[in-house]
Amino acid sequence: MASFIEPIQLKQSLGDDGILFVRNDSILDTMVKTPLLVASMIIVAALLPIQSSFSSPRDLDLIIYPDGSTHISTEIDIDPFLTDYELNLFGNTIDNLVVVGDNEFLLDTRIMDDSVLIQTFGSSVITIDYDIHDLVSKQGRLWTFSLDSPSNFTLLLPKNSAIVGMINLPINMEIINDQNQLTLSPGKTEIDYLFSNTISNSIPDPKIETNYFSYAIIGGVLIIILIGSVIIIRTKQKNHKSVEDNLTTKKSTTLDLETIFKLKSDLREDDKELVKFIFNNGGEALESELRKKFLQPRTTMWRAVKRLEREGVIEIEKKDLQNLVKLRKNMGDEE
Amino acid sequence: MKKLAVFAIIVLIFGTVSPSLVDGAYAQNDPSILLPIAVQADKQIVNQLDRVYGDQIPNNLQILYDKGHGAVYSLDESLPNDIEKAKQDFLLAMNSFMQISRIISQSSEKVVVVTVSDKSNRNLTSEIDRLEKYVKTLETISKKYNADVESDFIKIYDLIQELRQQVNDLNEVNVGIKKIKIILDSIKNDIRESALEQRSDFIKRFFDRLLNQFDKQLTKAQNDGLDQIQIDKGHELILEIRELVSKNQINDAKVIFAELKALMENIGYSVRIT
Repeated sequence: MASFIEPIQLKQSLGDDGILFVRNDSILDTMVKTPLLVASMIIVAALLPIQSSFSSPRDLDLIIYPDGSTHISTEIDIDPFLTDYELNLFGNTIDNLVVVGDNEFLLDTRIMDDSVLIQTFGSSVITIDYDIHDLVSKQGRLWTFSLDSPSNFTLLLPKNSAIVGMINLPINMEIINDQNQLTLSPGKTEIDYLFSNTISNSIPDPKIETNYFSYAIIGGVLIIILIGSVIIIRTKQKNHKSVEDNLTTKKSTTLDLETIFKLKSDLREDDKELVKFIFNNGGEALESELRKKFLQPRTTMWRAVKRLEREGVIEIEKKDLQNLVKLRKNMGDEE
Repeated sequence: MKKLAVFAIIVLIFGTVSPSLVDGAYAQNDPSILLPIAVQADKQIVNQLDRVYGDQIPNNLQILYDKGHGAVYSLDESLPNDIEKAKQDFLLAMNSFMQISRIISQSSEKVVVVTVSDKSNRNLTSEIDRLEKYVKTLETISKKYNADVESDFIKIYDLIQELRQQVNDLNEVNVGIKKIKIILDSIKNDIRESALEQRSDFIKRFFDRLLNQFDKQLTKAQNDGLDQIQIDKGHELILEIRELVSKNQINDAKVIFAELKALMENIGYSVRIT
């Protein structure tokens, strides 16, 4: 059978329509000269970084002040063959604009609405600093930062501010002088934040922890020594106190945790955690405090509290329109 | 030769594509940062709800909060293994919290949206901080030009210190800021004067460098047999620019320079970027 299959090149006659089929393995060499192709690609590859680097910020750093005004600092690569360069600003309420060229040479500028014309005269890198009032708006206590950035940028939020919403993913986060600094990607960014006196230093920074690892070890040793001393002193005091208790036969009204859990052995583990917290909090806690501590939705916490009330472990009192949860003092008597 | 060429093409393609790959990797840097941000936002929202509604949270806010809070839990569970899920959880949580905070602001505060450029919204400490940063930038520049303005900066820093002590007195701060701005204007003038000579040298060097390159290109074009009229026109423009620069007529020089650049581009001998 194989001998009937004839390679098309070997056919001596043309087809009926007179078309000659030619099989060509080296079409690339025939149609395009390889060296030419390589040379073109080298040119394309060489030009790409130049095209993308000019006029795009090399660095873009933003600092938001407590009044919502924002300081912008940016460094831009520009064509050194230009005499002027027009830069779009992020708004039109501009203050304190300074543009510096190569070797910190002060460049002349002219602001035109939301852009600035800079006389660059051969500078290849320019640094621009200005304050702007257009990026943050405020509604009630809520501040909203909005920006459509052409490149990655860093954003330093004011002290004691806490982020309560954002529409995109941050690339990185650091803490600088008790302020959160986010690194964000190009494109539209919206961040809602508010000020709170309860924020000491808002977000724990894992980098700081690693940087101060050695301090953490020393601190840890000191804490262990301190805890050891406290335990020894307490044990001594306890022994002394138990003798006193026996003598005075003072009746304790609140049961200890061990007894509570012995009496209520069928309590759920998460409920036990609640009881522990209330006990350590002096036997009472607001329901809102419990929610904050255990990060539970209102309804979940309400159900948990009701469960403990049914079990007879706690009682609920109203205090300033809030639920005050107290450990029951006569729990042991009932049992 | 063919193998070498194919290898070169592959290397070039990879070289061209690889920067975008690097960017992508950078964008996914350390997803563990998402959790503390979301947890903190959760706590702040709980505080807000407590402050505004106490135990009587409207149903729509409760639903939104449960959605956001659930996403925070899911985020915690997704990390560190399922990064894509963690990202979705983060965005869902932050979006829910954002909606809650905006609803609270709209419903509970009798305040309309204001941009911070509104002067009624002034924070004097921030204003002084920004001014000080500006002063420091100018101070650095003035040192570069050896401008004799050191005493002016000492005066400004003293005034800034005074302003910080009077930060609650709007009138005093306004007067102080005005004084500082007057001194700053004088400093800027001094810097400009000191920079005049250096600036003029800087611009001359810029034109010299470029015009020499254009000159070489024109010679090359002439050797290649290009239209002599165009080449003569190019030389004329170069001479004109040199004359204008020597007379310090920079703006006119810029206009002719733009014309020269266009001509060089037309004849296909534009100067390469170095």
